Amino acid sequence: MLRQRLDRLSLGPTLGVGALLLLLGFLAVYPLSMLFYGSLHSTPPGMAGVFNLDGYAKIFSAHEATVLANTVVISLIKTVIALLVAVLLAWIIARTDTPWRGTLEVLITLPFFIPPIVTAMSWGMLGNPQVGLINQAWKAMTGATASPINVYSYAGIIWHMLQYSTPFLFLFIVDIFRAMDPSLEEASRMSGAARLRTFRSITLILMLPALTSSFILSFVRGIESFESALFFGSPVGITVITTEIYNSINHRQAPDYQYATALSFSILGLMFLLVICQWLILRGRTFTTVTGKGYTPTVMQLGPWRWVTFAFCLLFFFVTVVLPVGQLIIGSFFRYLGFYSAEMLTLDHYRSVFGNSEFWRGFRNTMLLGLLGATATMVLGSIVAYVSARTTWRGRRLIDAIAWLPWMMPGMVLGIGFLWAFAMLPHAIPIYGTVWALLLAYVALGTPVSVRVMNGAYAQLSFDLEECSRVHGATWFQTMWRILVALAWPSFAVGWILTFFGIMRELSASVLLYSVGSEVLSVVLLKLWTNGAAEQVSVIGLMMMLLVVVFRALQLRFLNRQIGVV
Amino acid sequence: MSAIILNNVSRTFGTVLAVDRIDLSVEKGEFVTLLGPSGCGKTTTLRMVAGLERNTSGRISIDGTVVSDAHEGFFLAPERRHLGMVFQSYAIWPHMTVFDNVAYPLRIRRRPRVEILERVANALRLVEMEDYAARPAPALSGGQQQRVAIARALVFEPKVLLLDEPLSNLDARLRAQMGDEFRALQKRLGLTTLYVTHDQAEAMALSDRVVVMHGGHILQTGAPPDIYLRPGSRAVAAFFGTPNFLDGIVVACNPDGTDRYSLTVEGHGWKGQCQAGSARSPGSSVQVMVRSENVHLAKGDSTPRVGEIAISGRVTETIFRGAHRSVVLDSAAGRIAVDLSALSHVAIGDTISVLVEPGAAWAIDN
Ligand SMILES: Nc1ncnc2c1ncn2[C@@H]1O[C@H](COP(=O)(O)OP(=O)(O)OP(=O)(O)O)[C@@H](O)[C@H]1O
Ligand SMILES: [Mg+2]
Repeated sequence: MLRQRLDRLSLGPTLGVGALLLLLGFLAVYPLSMLFYGSLHSTPPGMAGVFNLDGYAKIFSAHEATVLANTVVISLIKTVIALLVAVLLAWIIARTDTPWRGTLEVLITLPFFIPPIVTAMSWGMLGNPQVGLINQAWKAMTGATASPINVYSYAGIIWHMLQYSTPFLFLFIVDIFRAMDPSLEEASRMSGAARLRTFRSITLILMLPALTSSFILSFVRGIESFESALFFGSPVGITVITTEIYNSINHRQAPDYQYATALSFSILGLMFLLVICQWLILRGRTFTTVTGKGYTPTVMQLGPWRWVTFAFCLLFFFVTVVLPVGQLIIGSFFRYLGFYSAEMLTLDHYRSVFGNSEFWRGFRNTMLLGLLGATATMVLGSIVAYVSARTTWRGRRLIDAIAWLPWMMPGMVLGIGFLWAFAMLPHAIPIYGTVWALLLAYVALGTPVSVRVMNGAYAQLSFDLEECSRVHGATWFQTMWRILVALAWPSFAVGWILTFFGIMRELSASVLLYSVGSEVLSVVLLKLWTNGAAEQVSVIGLMMMLLVVVFRALQLRFLNRQIGVV
Repeated sequence: MSAIILNNVSRTFGTVLAVDRIDLSVEKGEFVTLLGPSGCGKTTTLRMVAGLERNTSGRISIDGTVVSDAHEGFFLAPERRHLGMVFQSYAIWPHMTVFDNVAYPLRIRRRPRVEILERVANALRLVEMEDYAARPAPALSGGQQQRVAIARALVFEPKVLLLDEPLSNLDARLRAQMGDEFRALQKRLGLTTLYVTHDQAEAMALSDRVVVMHGGHILQTGAPPDIYLRPGSRAVAAFFGTPNFLDGIVVACNPDGTDRYSLTVEGHGWKGQCQAGSARSPGSSVQVMVRSENVHLAKGDSTPRVGEIAISGRVTETIFRGAHRSVVLDSAAGRIAVDLSALSHVAIGDTISVLVEPGAAWAIDN
């Protein structure tokens, strides 16, 4: 009996599944449970304390209600605006004869890859009510004395979120537009419906499930976002959940870990509700409108209006990339922010940045973590996706589910979870405070994306290929290597670069888990900014921008068709 | 008055000339098929009539009114042309029921509710889909979707019906059945129909007139028997099956009483009569097309009748195909493929003679 069962289970898969479960459990389930543990624990991680509900009690306060309202309202407004703009941009790129659409598409999606901390700092300089470049220019042009723009406000937070949120949504929606069978719309035109009516009754309704899905996703990411509120909200007392968590640990005399942890755990509840909500709304409502025929839909002839749409796309690029990067360039060459005259020109900031050992350490750490982290994440993602999509091993669904867990966790929350998790480890495993702590957090955060990307890749390869190879005498291992790896590597590369971008931009978990010696670039930036060294920030921001452009160019050059961002 | 007239219509995509200065007219109630190999511009032509594609030159009129004139820069949007169209993918909207799909054109036209109910019911009855009105559209088979697409195209009584390979997604048996049903419906309602296909059998079975296209040009227009038996060029002839072409020299040429001519032709090892569309001078060379199924086996010692072409040769291939037996002869006139009765006993190596009636041989214009 027992032997039979053992045979049927066969040792390889069981061991494999076991090892995966252990690893994923450590990356996702362990920090999650430690989060719960910590939320009941009266003292910071690693100290003796008692268990009570004080943390949760503090959540039910008027202040907390404001924070929650801020978070939800800000995210909701930005999601609505971002979705509208993204639909418009996607329609322009996918469905009109606007000139140079290919180039415009690359330009429009670029801001998604720029770390938000970089643009946040640029906008902090651009829209500063006293010395901001835009305000100065406005005053110089009109002779007015009042500054028209103040980014330190609700509008400023939303404005900044829009800059990376819109291209993110655009990436999804443009693919939806492209995948739709154009004859569905043409049939409506032939039925007598004019363009606008067709757009309303057919196009939009057909896209509704995908749009709803994008909306919820973008809303969730809005709640998770940290940088915008940190830079533009905190200075004027506008607090959202993520900054509230951050402040209660970093900006109080006595860090209140229990409160921060309880808050984090509650956010997870909120995220969970949203995910359920999405699932309920979308159940059975995905229309497959994709046809096999690879027609490019006929584009709409806009006549002279195509220059208007062209200008609109260009304006978007100008506002989201040219302005902030221009500010960084200007900021990096002048002695003081706000004093722009020829005698103030200097290269000192470059000298001091390049002579700053902390910058080099951050740079090294970011590159190291980026390379290692992206590789580890993609390898893990490939294996998880393979096991869950291509085998019939027991426990594969569990693996898939666990790998997906961090999807619901904002970086800030996962950071706190890991803080507790590392503190609770035996002292023989000194992870806390090293770069490995960051590495683990990055891998956990990146795994859901990598699994999705690789799932998509495997789904396109038919089982026949794999079986054919094995029939022809290749072993399982050779099959894996020759067929799957050879055919799936483009997706692997795309996922790798996405993960690398993700690591480079990560701030919220890093800022909780770093310690002296393991700072990454984004943390170095934040520290410099807090110390008022905006000019050096500009230099480092430019370096990061350079990295973004180089990697993005490589990606576009070598991977002709990018796979939609999850 | 013709229902559709295309005058000198072209369409270019960048540098590709998809349709090159074609002229075509479709009469009221007529079923005209555009036929040709992939990429020859059939769909583009149809879409220009529909208004989904703009013609880059020429003029298109429907029902006596100009709908598009590239020279004048005039272009009527597709929704204002009142044409019914059936797409290759059927384009049934997946978010609606069958009823809603068919009712859509009427709702756009703001017809009263009662009228919509009645006309949708009628349209669905026409295509025998009345029991499926409440079904969500994705829950339909390919054949059913095709019927719904036809009902939707007919429900507002359009002036003209346009169809782009509507049967190509169906399996062979259903394709034949749906084709015959549609032809019956079209005749009954007297619909003016412009139909696109690359399937020659379908084109012949359905159409009043076939337009053979190639590389953006119209090669020939005519009733199915004309196109098939009396092609104007070798390209048209070769588009339908693989006929035999015999090289010969004209010996005599006489009018045969109709608008055609009767030629006496002599080739390598054969002599006989064939028909031609134009007069040929004796001594000129000519190509004679003989379709393999229009050739019979000569019976024993019977001599050929007057004018019949007789060819004898050695059998090099023979394949039993059920309906007939395909035989390939090696003769003085070259390699000849013939379809003989399935009952005939022919073996490789036999020497046989075959006969071609004057009416089955056709001189191709060079
Ligand atoms: N939107 C387009 N952009 C560029 N070229 C096009 C476009 N549509 C059609 N063409 C080209 O025009 C030519 C005619 O295309 P069309 O679709 O009319 O062919 P078709 O006869 O319908 O072929 P098929 O039987 O494959 O459907 C082809 O060479 C095609 O590549
Ligand atoms: Mg076509």
